[in-house]
Amino acid sequence: MKLDVNALGTFYRMAQEGAGLAAGRLTQMTGVDTQVGVTKLNFMRGTEIRHDFDDGTENVGVRVELSGGIDGHSILVFDRGSAETIIEALLGDSDAGLGDELSQSAATELGQIMNNGFVDGWADVLETAIDVSTPEFQSGTTAADFFGDLEEAPSDDDLALVFQSHIEAVGAETGFRHYLFPEHESMAVLLERLRSNEGIEYDKLEGFDRMAEQGAEEVAKTATTLTGIDTTVEIRRLNFVSLEAIPQEVANEPLVGVAFEFDGTPSGYLLFLFDEQSAREIVDAMVPMETDDESDEFTEMDRSAIKELGNIMASGFLDGWANVLDTTIDHSTPEFIHDIGAAAVDPVVIQLGESQDYAFVFDTTVVADGQAFDCDVYAIPDESDLERALNDLDVSRIDETPTTAEFADLEGT
Amino acid sequence: MKTYGSEPGAPESVQVGISELVVSEGTDTLKSYGLGSCLAIALYDPGTAVGGLAHTMLPDGDAAENSDLKPGKYVDTAIRALLRRMVERGATYTDVEAKIAGGSDMFQFESFGEGVGKRNADAAREELEKLGVPLVAEDVGGSHGRTVEFTPETGTLLIKGNEDIGVTEL
Repeated sequence: MKLDVNALGTFYRMAQEGAGLAAGRLTQMTGVDTQVGVTKLNFMRGTEIRHDFDDGTENVGVRVELSGGIDGHSILVFDRGSAETIIEALLGDSDAGLGDELSQSAATELGQIMNNGFVDGWADVLETAIDVSTPEFQSGTTAADFFGDLEEAPSDDDLALVFQSHIEAVGAETGFRHYLFPEHESMAVLLERLRSNEGIEYDKLEGFDRMAEQGAEEVAKTATTLTGIDTTVEIRRLNFVSLEAIPQEVANEPLVGVAFEFDGTPSGYLLFLFDEQSAREIVDAMVPMETDDESDEFTEMDRSAIKELGNIMASGFLDGWANVLDTTIDHSTPEFIHDIGAAAVDPVVIQLGESQDYAFVFDTTVVADGQAFDCDVYAIPDESDLERALNDLDVSRIDETPTTAEFADLEGT
Repeated sequence: MKTYGSEPGAPESVQVGISELVVSEGTDTLKSYGLGSCLAIALYDPGTAVGGLAHTMLPDGDAAENSDLKPGKYVDTAIRALLRRMVERGATYTDVEAKIAGGSDMFQFESFGEGVGKRNADAAREELEKLGVPLVAEDVGGSHGRTVEFTPETGTLLIKGNEDIGVTEL
């Protein structure tokens, strides 16, 4: 199976179109104002999908099987509270709940109408017909309750292409997640049809993702060594998104970050973003001599501590890539930023936007147990360089090549 | 961000996401969060209280293939689309005034050349001049982010920066 940016771009438009139609239909039906949040094409492993359901929340879902233009399963998932709110609005009964048959069939009906919205959007973009099975009502607290029996849902280590959208009710804590799990065969046929150039072997993308996984582990290890804070990789994903979606995903609050440009095959940008409290903790851990200053300002010394941490994490991340690709990837000196989140990301998006509309984003969250250390890592390679790097990638090298950055190598970076 | 099913009439606060543009009137507020090198372009007609806000990313839409699909993405096409939609809603072209904010250069990366933010602000000045729309106020450049809030009725563009920068009203 081969894919290229053109084919993925069409999928992306398809996902957006579908989400828009689904949101519109929800509004028509319930009178609730809705908006579409970020739409993503995720290359997800089973472990990551399970993580989405890991918070113990009880969810309900409505699942349909698709055939025709695309084969697979489309599933609308909402947390139980959101579902009840909507059903109550729909039935005009303030304690309808989801216990009885009437409200369950109302929920199924709602899910069906929204699933149809998605499907109609995809069919429009693909200019083909897609058939939808009768809907199935589901509920549970784990991913297995929703996807467990699906052949196309990835096992822990498989990388599957999953379409994800969020639809939110304006001014309310009500949201829906939507997943499309296409069948491998059907996906391969579509990708082939939509591809406009040589493209990339899917296996290579998977290999690159495994490489990024090692890079992420390296970042967490480095953070632990330098700060003494015990950190782990919480989420790690490879997304294919429109450039505009990247800043929209970053928290709408002041963040502290370190940014790099990197140059080689691939070239691109690497950002580490911390919330303010985490940045404070890091400074306290790395600069223990400093008096406990409660002001929000980051002093010159604070900034250089964070930049130093960023610098070593960047080397850890990129050296892994360079080793496996058997090439050199240089990175710039770190740039410190303390500003509202999106503002830190949009310059990079703009620069890439001169030559591409979409980007692969290697998105990682590193966290610490019991201590504030939330770090979002975004690696955004230049598209054409990435394609070249992937084509050069020898997948068999990935598990053999050491990815560890030698600390001694870092002098002078 | 597009909202489905909003009722007309009541004043509302509309978020204008990156690459989007919204035309409105009266006391509605149009908001864009966290502009770094992106440029917010606010146009309004003081006589009819019709105005619009665009959250643009790139300077030159005429050189891009997809600018007709996403006019809000580019400075030049966004200005023209805003004007057209405002006139459709009753604004008088010759009365329209402009304010811009954003276009910072947060990073000094080699690949950024003279600065991605500066290119956006320059493109806006040039396009506005070409179209004969007076640029009455601007808060551009620097190396900090901005959140903007625009009210068409008054033409007020509120700009919030981080703590050191505070709030500016244009």
